[in-house]
Amino acid sequence: MHKVINQEIKQIINACPEVGRILEEYNIGCVPCSVGSCLLKDVVGIHNLDPQREATLMYRLEKAIYPDRNVPKPVVDMTKKSAPKEITYSPPVKKLVDEHVLIKRLLALIPSVVEYTETSVKVDKNLILKCVDFIRTYADKYHHMKEEDILFKYVDDKAEIIQIMFKDHDTGRGHVRQAVEGAEKGNKSQIKEHLLAYRDLLTQHIKKEDEILYPWIDRQLSVTQVGEMFRKCSEADASVGDELPKKYERFIIELEEKFLEEVTK
Amino acid sequence: MSGCPGSRTIDFSEKANQEGSESGKRPSQLRQWPIQMHLVSPMAPYFQGRDILLAADCTAFALGDFHKDYLKGKSIAIACPKLDSDQEVYVEKIKSLIDDAKINTLSVIIMQVPCCFGLAQIAKEGAEKASRKIPVKQIVVGLEGNILSEEWI
Repeated sequence: MHKVINQEIKQIINACPEVGRILEEYNIGCVPCSVGSCLLKDVVGIHNLDPQREATLMYRLEKAIYPDRNVPKPVVDMTKKSAPKEITYSPPVKKLVDEHVLIKRLLALIPSVVEYTETSVKVDKNLILKCVDFIRTYADKYHHMKEEDILFKYVDDKAEIIQIMFKDHDTGRGHVRQAVEGAEKGNKSQIKEHLLAYRDLLTQHIKKEDEILYPWIDRQLSVTQVGEMFRKCSEADASVGDELPKKYERFIIELEEKFLEEVTK
Repeated sequence: MSGCPGSRTIDFSEKANQEGSESGKRPSQLRQWPIQMHLVSPMAPYFQGRDILLAADCTAFALGDFHKDYLKGKSIAIACPKLDSDQEVYVEKIKSLIDDAKINTLSVIIMQVPCCFGLAQIAKEGAEKASRKIPVKQIVVGLEGNILSEEWI
């Protein structure tokens, strides 16, 4: 097993699909991952399972990989289910989680924006560009840059999970460019394809960050680093001013009101 | 078992006799003097830009590894929210530590008894009055020296 835990997860799942199924049971979503080069030991470690769940998971994985091996059962109460742990964040990380809430409100509106675009005679270019402005300025410049320039610097930014986050950011930027091109050309299907793809991507991305990545980073931060990161994030926020987040919150409220009206018409 | 939990008599001497690992002497992690909240000055060099531990008096006696796990790397001020007088001075000192000494973080370590939460309240008030914002952590120690909770507030 020592050899296996140091192998890439995709390689293990390809050789033994049961491993993927077991991981799914533990809400460890490696099967759909497009990269899959995290090592099994890191995959398990990053999810911070309680000792009982981790021991049980490792036992089941070993049994799945080596069905003929006499694997000793872990000395834990196999019937006892542990209560889900509440995730708590340090103040600077909590601020980033809170920023996700506004981004998720835009993601929730995207199907309405797409439907509105499809049913309109002419593409409302201004509406699409305003959504893109929110994504580029609030989600990308204001939020993602703090992740890339500050938060990720506190861990090995060459780590697989961080590289996946960078890749998601880049993929998201690609979808936004395509949506802008669609708006410029009045191409409804191009707008639909890329806004919906952006929504799917960011929904999963935020879930991974809130539930896995941020708590994992938080567990590694010392008190001194929390204070230092809080100061750096505050300075980054001050450099763009108080008005920027307020402006984009107003935009989301207006958009929510607009589509609530559309629905109730 | 009635009366104030802060001064109620409890004997857990049997448990206290349990031996932990005693490999070698542990050096003190204290790196300043004075430490009592009324005696310290926020202007002292050992507070400038540092991580501060605001400890309720009893915590250092309850926690076996107080120096190693909580004091190490930090500057300290101690106080008793039940017995100390003029505690409004404490609020102003915390405000000054945040605004003038520009401390990095404030960790408040208290006992589980209700009166001890007054120290966390003092820390919160001081932090709210300050114009700078910093992360504040609350650590609650059980009567038998166990950590009951540790959270950013």
